Amino acid sequence: MTAILRNESGKLLRGTLTLTGLLVVLTAFFFVVFPSIQEEAELFEEVYPEYMLELLGIEELHTIEGFVGGYIFPFVWILLAGIYFAYISAGMISRDVRTRRLDLTLAGPVSRESVLLQKVAALWVPLVALNLGLATVLFVGATLLGESFDLVSLAMVHLLGTPYLLACAGIGIVLSVVVDRVETAQAVSLVLVFVLWLVDGLSSMSPDFEWVGDLTLSRYYDPSAILVHEEYAFVDAGLLLAVFLVLLGVAVLVFTRRDI
Amino acid sequence: MSAIEIADLTKRYGEVAANDGVTFDVEAGEIFGYLGPNGAGKTTTIRLLLGLIKPTSGTATVLGTDIRDRRALTEAKANVGYLPDTLGFEERLTGRQVLDYFARMRGDRRREELLELFTPPLDQRVETYSAGNRRMLGIVQAFMHDPDLAILDEPTAGLDPLKQDRMHAFIEAERDAGKTIFFSSHVLSEVQRVCDRVGIIREGKLVALEHIDDLLERGGKHVRVQLAEAVDEERFVTAEMIDVETVGSTVRFTYTGESAALLEHLVRFEVEDVDIGDPQLDDIFKHYYGDDSPAREE
Repeated sequence: MTAILRNESGKLLRGTLTLTGLLVVLTAFFFVVFPSIQEEAELFEEVYPEYMLELLGIEELHTIEGFVGGYIFPFVWILLAGIYFAYISAGMISRDVRTRRLDLTLAGPVSRESVLLQKVAALWVPLVALNLGLATVLFVGATLLGESFDLVSLAMVHLLGTPYLLACAGIGIVLSVVVDRVETAQAVSLVLVFVLWLVDGLSSMSPDFEWVGDLTLSRYYDPSAILVHEEYAFVDAGLLLAVFLVLLGVAVLVFTRRDI
Repeated sequence: MSAIEIADLTKRYGEVAANDGVTFDVEAGEIFGYLGPNGAGKTTTIRLLLGLIKPTSGTATVLGTDIRDRRALTEAKANVGYLPDTLGFEERLTGRQVLDYFARMRGDRRREELLELFTPPLDQRVETYSAGNRRMLGIVQAFMHDPDLAILDEPTAGLDPLKQDRMHAFIEAERDAGKTIFFSSHVLSEVQRVCDRVGIIREGKLVALEHIDDLLERGGKHVRVQLAEAVDEERFVTAEMIDVETVGSTVRFTYTGESAALLEHLVRFEVEDVDIGDPQLDDIFKHYYGDDSPAREE
């Protein structure tokens, strides 16, 4: 019953290692420039009014927590990792339909539900790798800079960030069963995650449009709040998890009814 | 009991009917040939039988299970082997890993025995495989769990002649062991060689259902004859020749009579060269079944 899960996990391994490697290097680079940013950050915070910084989601930029929560996570986790999860999920079913791989798979005694769920379950590979890789580089990087993290906050920023990535994967998997062309499914999911991220950022700058941001995924994951204020928004994370499950349900519903 | 019962099966894509009211049974323990030119709707029928696509109307049963009953069909597939026309393997895996993968899903009791007959290079990645090696790997995965029913879509495409013969002998042995083989092909001679009964499909419609003995009489060969001098059509052409085309001293035609009679006829002329091969299936079908003949069933 786990043949597909094993196979899919193996397939995700290479891409996962590449992505994790890239993001780790990127994060390390951020750490290298942190000391020089740190000095300017204090100036930055003095010059700009406080509400402005808050709206940009930048707080305490001169502290390691503020820097990681306001700079590294929004970029590395919310944007890049989010796009990656949506992108690979968008190829899961559409590519197998295109290459006729599904014909062979579904010729065996396996239901379509099982195929889809095993493929999604294989996302454990990038999830584990990304969490471990990033947590390690953050911890080591901070230690090298003579700073230190609250370990609970560090664990929380990863734990509460996981439902966000799953929700992005949910977007991809729905597109994967709805759209016939692999390229289209992947491009749309990539653009969608990017636009959602952009809308969240832009909407927070104007009080009139702030409600629009409530419709974005990243609104429900705030690494700054977790790292700087140690505020753990479990309800928001639960909401993202629910979104993921709903999208997964929709994907199963569509996939079991369509021609392949 | 019938291994497959197809009742008025129809699949439409917009205006086009890929399968239009197809009805026939495949008996348990026979080799049934599903013959038709490319694009006639053979693969559509097969994909309907496997539940990959849904019928617009009509239905079918596979090993007694209605194809519209998704859950029951999933279970029934444990006892079905499938060789698709397009083999979508995981390209980066080796042949052995591909077989391991399918073995985990449905078993591999007969793997070693099959690998003695069909010999894909198991330690190479599938992406390096030739068409013939891919087909052999497909054959092994289709039969290795010892299914009661094998559904084969153009099973010998890409195989070299030796392996084709081996495949034909293998499915005959399977039939003799009580297995059912449903076998699609666009090659008339292949179907004539191995099948017990034949269903002929043209443009989505079943135009004939024949015992193989009847089909043997309806064979045909594509013939090209090069004569020493210009062809005298009146003397040369017989009633068994259809679609005759003459250019100078060369004549091409489809011969629908006995091979022996053709050879006897040819020796009366000064023949420089002769080439006899498989005919275009569609020409033969047009000749025997007309352009819009109603489905004849037995």
